[in-house]
Amino acid sequence: MSKPLIGVVLGAVLGVIDGLTAWFTPEVRDQLGGIVIGSTIKGIIAGIAIGFFAKKFQSLPIGILFGVIVGALLAALVAIMQGGYYLEIILPGTLVGLIVGFATQKYGNTPATAN
Amino acid sequence: MKWLSDDRLDHLRSIVGNPDFSSTKYTFVKELGRGGMGTVYLAEDTELNRLVAIKVLNAPEVTEDLRNRMIREAQIIARLEHPGIVPVHDVGTLPDGRIYYAMKFVRGSRLDEYAAQGASLRDRLRKFQAVCDAVAFAHAHGVIHRDLKPQNIMIGSFGEVLVLDWGVAKIEPRMNTDEHRSEIDPCSSVSICGNTDHGTIIGTRNYMSPEQARGEIDQLDERADVYSLGAMLQFLLNDQPRVSKAAQAICSKAMALEKESRYATASELSADIGRLLDAEPVTAYRENALEKVVRWVSKNRFLVLLVLAYLLMRIILIFTSRS
Amino acid sequence: MDPDTDIGGPLHKFPVTNHSAIVGARSDDQVVRRRAFDTILASYWKPAYKYIRLKWQADNEDAKDLTQGFFANAFEKNHFAAYDAGKASFQTFLRTCLDGFVSNERKAGRRLKRGGDMDHYQLDFAAAEDELAAHAGSTLTPEEYFHREWVRWMFTLAVDAFRQRCEESGRAVHFQLFERYDLNDDNREVSYASLAKEFGLEPATVTNYLAAARRDFRRIVLEKLREITATDEEFRTEARSLLGVDVK
Repeated sequence: MSKPLIGVVLGAVLGVIDGLTAWFTPEVRDQLGGIVIGSTIKGIIAGIAIGFFAKKFQSLPIGILFGVIVGALLAALVAIMQGGYYLEIILPGTLVGLIVGFATQKYGNTPATAN
Repeated sequence: MKWLSDDRLDHLRSIVGNPDFSSTKYTFVKELGRGGMGTVYLAEDTELNRLVAIKVLNAPEVTEDLRNRMIREAQIIARLEHPGIVPVHDVGTLPDGRIYYAMKFVRGSRLDEYAAQGASLRDRLRKFQAVCDAVAFAHAHGVIHRDLKPQNIMIGSFGEVLVLDWGVAKIEPRMNTDEHRSEIDPCSSVSICGNTDHGTIIGTRNYMSPEQARGEIDQLDERADVYSLGAMLQFLLNDQPRVSKAAQAICSKAMALEKESRYATASELSADIGRLLDAEPVTAYRENALEKVVRWVSKNRFLVLLVLAYLLMRIILIFTSRS
Repeated sequence: MDPDTDIGGPLHKFPVTNHSAIVGARSDDQVVRRRAFDTILASYWKPAYKYIRLKWQADNEDAKDLTQGFFANAFEKNHFAAYDAGKASFQTFLRTCLDGFVSNERKAGRRLKRGGDMDHYQLDFAAAEDELAAHAGSTLTPEEYFHREWVRWMFTLAVDAFRQRCEESGRAVHFQLFERYDLNDDNREVSYASLAKEFGLEPATVTNYLAAARRDFRRIVLEKLREITATDEEFRTEARSLLGVDVK
């Protein structure tokens, strides 16, 4: 499995989980469908970016850092658009970025180095 | 007759016992150890200013047969050019007629000493895998060691692993040292130790294969060494508090009483050790579903912890937002 | 390396050697047996005497009589022919027989008589006694002591034989150099250079002579050992023991 693909899959899965946990917030429960879709797309976008970064640069600490930054930025964007729930959106989003950053660096096929 | 004091007596014993290197470029330093056919001494190469280990034929009297065997041992080891097999530098004859060969002096500790120093299981397995690779190389060149044991493995000061003491090795016909012979008699495998007669027992009891213990010299093949490697692995695992079923299964397979049930080659054994080290499934052991999950989780511990941390954080956020 | 590597099995008993006095002791030929006995006696009388003095606390006269009595009895009854190299070394066998003999003699409370056969042997018990007196205080067990004294005596005999051979072959200087350098118990430092000066030789010549002397001496020590071992394997085992590494 390639690194971008790992990023996409993991980002999507965690994005779905992220979105579903909105059910525990009654105020936004009626928007659950949209939240899940949005969260999944956010996860996929983060996964693609982080996955391609991992394909280019093989460094665990830098990959994790990149993932954290991408995850935090995307989550912040969503939180601003929501107009609230900053902690509930940015913190998990950052952690998702960390997880995807780690997984794409550790797993997946490394492209062969051209001579 | 003059009384010989204890000091003089010990001096005379050392003169008579120690090799006379006077006609060589080596100077005697001390004795390192004794084996079946030879004694190994530490000596200094006065031309290259380095220490070497010199194996000298042990027999008090030198016969032509013993000389030839020793030379053959040196030639075979010299041709086994592998980082895990101690390199031979030189071969010659001492003034008293004893054959010697000089080899690399390995500073370090024997494998049993290394294990006793508290090496981790992972380190032991890596060293063991290196031994398997060296032995596999020898097998590929038709040489069967026949006396593998922790005492014949050195761990150098840089962590390198070297297999020593090929004095009782068996050379298969494809390892003929005479390159000009056009025909090789497949029945003429030669033992370095010389006595190829059926019924002779060669090796060290705790590590020798059942067929070796029965003296079935003619039946010995690489799998005899595989057995010894398995016994060596068992030795390395014995004092470990937690040994996985997979590791024990590898041991058991290598030490199967019937050689057909063992790993066919040292390479296969090495490959399974590699899988064990990489937390991959090994051929010697069939996992059930739970064991597969446990192994996967163990291999991907950090990722699992991250995901659990994420879920925990999510749960905490849910509860805090409710309150 | 360790000495545990075993080359054994049904073929590990090597052929018996021709020069062995132990083998000669089994001969039907009286002359051969007598010669064999002489060799065994020469090699063992002194360690046996000292051993009896130490282990059995016999006084010098009793020890002398017991030593001579033992060997006389052994020759008369041809005890050495019963030795089996597969069971133990000849040294161990002889020591065990000696213990048995002394024990029996003590129990019987016999008045020891020197064997008539032994009278013509000139065994210097006085020298042995002097050595005992001068070098008492060993911390070894009686068995270790017997072995140590046997080793000492074997080397003493070898030194004497070496000296004789050097004199007979016109190489007296070889022995003298060997004696000065390797047998010297003096505290004075002896070097190749000082020997070269003393003997009017080149240092390189001293080096070569000494190397040759040591090679010849080694050969003689092993010849002496060959005489009192029964098989090649026993010879190799005893050689290791004699040359400094005890094989258990």
